Amino acid sequence: MSTQAKRVYGYLAEFKSASALYKAAEKVRDAGHKKWDCYSPYPIHGLDHAMGMKKSILPYLVFCGGTIGFITAVLLAYTTQVVIYPTVVQAKPANLFTISAFFPIMFELTILFSGFTTLFGLLALMQLPRLNHPLFESKQFGRVTDDKFFIAIEARDPKFAKATVKELLEDAGGTNLELVEEPVS
Amino acid sequence: MGHFITSKDIPANGEHLAKGGLKLPILISGLVAIVGLIISLYLLFSGNAFNNKPADINAGRFAYSWLFAFIFFVSFPLGGCFWLLLHHLSNSGWGVSVRRVMENLATVFPWMGLLAIPFLFPEVQQHLFEWMNSHREIMGVEPSKSMSILNADMYANATKELHHGTGTFDHMLYKKAFYMNLPAWLIRMVLYFVALGASMIILKKISVNQDHDENPGIKRLIRARKLSAAFLPIFALTVTFLAFDLLKGLDFKWFSTMYGVYFFAGCALNGMALLILTTIVLRRMGYLNQIMSPEHHHIMGKLTFAFVVFWAYISFSQFFLIWYANITEETSYFLLRNTENWNIASIALVIGHFAIPFLLLMRADVKKKPGLMIPIMIYLFVLHALDHYLIVAPERGPSLTGGKHLFPTSGGSVIYDLLAFATVGSFFLWFYLRSFTKNSLYPNRDPRILESANLFN
Repeated sequence: MSTQAKRVYGYLAEFKSASALYKAAEKVRDAGHKKWDCYSPYPIHGLDHAMGMKKSILPYLVFCGGTIGFITAVLLAYTTQVVIYPTVVQAKPANLFTISAFFPIMFELTILFSGFTTLFGLLALMQLPRLNHPLFESKQFGRVTDDKFFIAIEARDPKFAKATVKELLEDAGGTNLELVEEPVS
Repeated sequence: MGHFITSKDIPANGEHLAKGGLKLPILISGLVAIVGLIISLYLLFSGNAFNNKPADINAGRFAYSWLFAFIFFVSFPLGGCFWLLLHHLSNSGWGVSVRRVMENLATVFPWMGLLAIPFLFPEVQQHLFEWMNSHREIMGVEPSKSMSILNADMYANATKELHHGTGTFDHMLYKKAFYMNLPAWLIRMVLYFVALGASMIILKKISVNQDHDENPGIKRLIRARKLSAAFLPIFALTVTFLAFDLLKGLDFKWFSTMYGVYFFAGCALNGMALLILTTIVLRRMGYLNQIMSPEHHHIMGKLTFAFVVFWAYISFSQFFLIWYANITEETSYFLLRNTENWNIASIALVIGHFAIPFLLLMRADVKKKPGLMIPIMIYLFVLHALDHYLIVAPERGPSLTGGKHLFPTSGGSVIYDLLAFATVGSFFLWFYLRSFTKNSLYPNRDPRILESANLFN
């Protein structure tokens, strides 16, 4: 017998098809659970609506990132090309009104900073990268990358109770219900 | 999203405007157009050719007003042509609900050709296109005998004179004479409206016939798609060379290879903006509610957003290359538009035509709210008018005063601009609104109308 201490991660239920998963997700959403997720081999159109997910805050982060990139570019180009060391070519002036010469720089830095914010903001919001996930404790969960669909309701959820969650998932059409436990390190 | 739309929700004969639904706006625009046209024709042709009496200055000023108003209002139907051709060619399913509105907009284009007729007369041309004056002068043609330039032999000799003759004629006019000569110019002007106009009428006819066919099938869709592949080059050539002939020709010494696509960007942007505005108004009047949803407005808003960026990209590219290269022939355009107060308008265009709509149209929920889209679309029209005003109007002063003044004589020009704007605008509105009263408001028997009605993106 293992002496490893374990704690309950959540209940896992398997679904046969994308539409079964979609309908089950609506039921779990209506039951008022907050900490749960759907797992599927491929993206399912409209599943975020079925899960009742709020809009991500990522766009706002990207907007801020882009704005910071824009301001950086304006300051960078203006300071170097107008204040510190104007490059005079063909007697063209260097002042606020020649700022259009720096538009490419503003464009590039806006794109670069919003691109970085998108990537790193996304990783941060998804709490990636991570080395392991408690659901990997479940043998059957491996088929999520193949042909099976899963819903896991986590124990962190305020409404989590083994009996009611089990009943809910069974009602929703889930099979192979499994209480996933993760080792406490 | 409401319930799933089925064929039961779609009336067998489509939705038609209630009798007299648009009667008042049509009547008003028709009356304004008639009164405006009479005054406009008087102003355009009141001046005598080739002398400098005040009456001619007035006629010259109004010629520019007319060109500005014409080019502004012709850009909407051109945008409609583009979106209709793109709809057929890309085999798009979502656009079926809006297709009839696109068709109505596109088929205004041939009628706009009527307003281009004044440009065919030397009395109007002499103020706008200096190269024509040079050509006429070298040929010794009296303006009253304008059609004699169609004599080919005479013209061939005359173009040689452009080069070898004495006087102010330069090598550039000689080199450009293969394109910029009067017979070719006149033929092109007629061809634009006949060729593209006929294309649009054919496409609309195919679509309208579908409305009355009990068992339409897909044969018309495939025919329209094949025809659109042939019509798209016609559209591209028309929009490019119309801009060259009417706008770039104002200053024959200027070069820009971006010019055609610059004009196109404005056409596509404001064509889509007008489509959005029209569908919102129709929905507010109680039509199109079964087959259109905020999803359609979302897609159309995204296209508008894309073309706000495209317009900025193209117009900036044009400016940027010229600014860097700093060649005299190229910089003249922007020098003129950055002299004295025109500078304010140029800068306003950068902020108002790009930065502000870019930020306004960024959010998805804004595109889905008609109450917000109406003011944004009207704002886009205002800035589009400023864009085209800045193309046409700065040429007026230097051309009419022989390069002495930036603005021609004192004041008054703006009143002319408004008069021409109201005339051409109401003429456009009359044709546009009337086309809605004739057929169903959407292609109700199209095989993909349900796909479009249940759009989700």
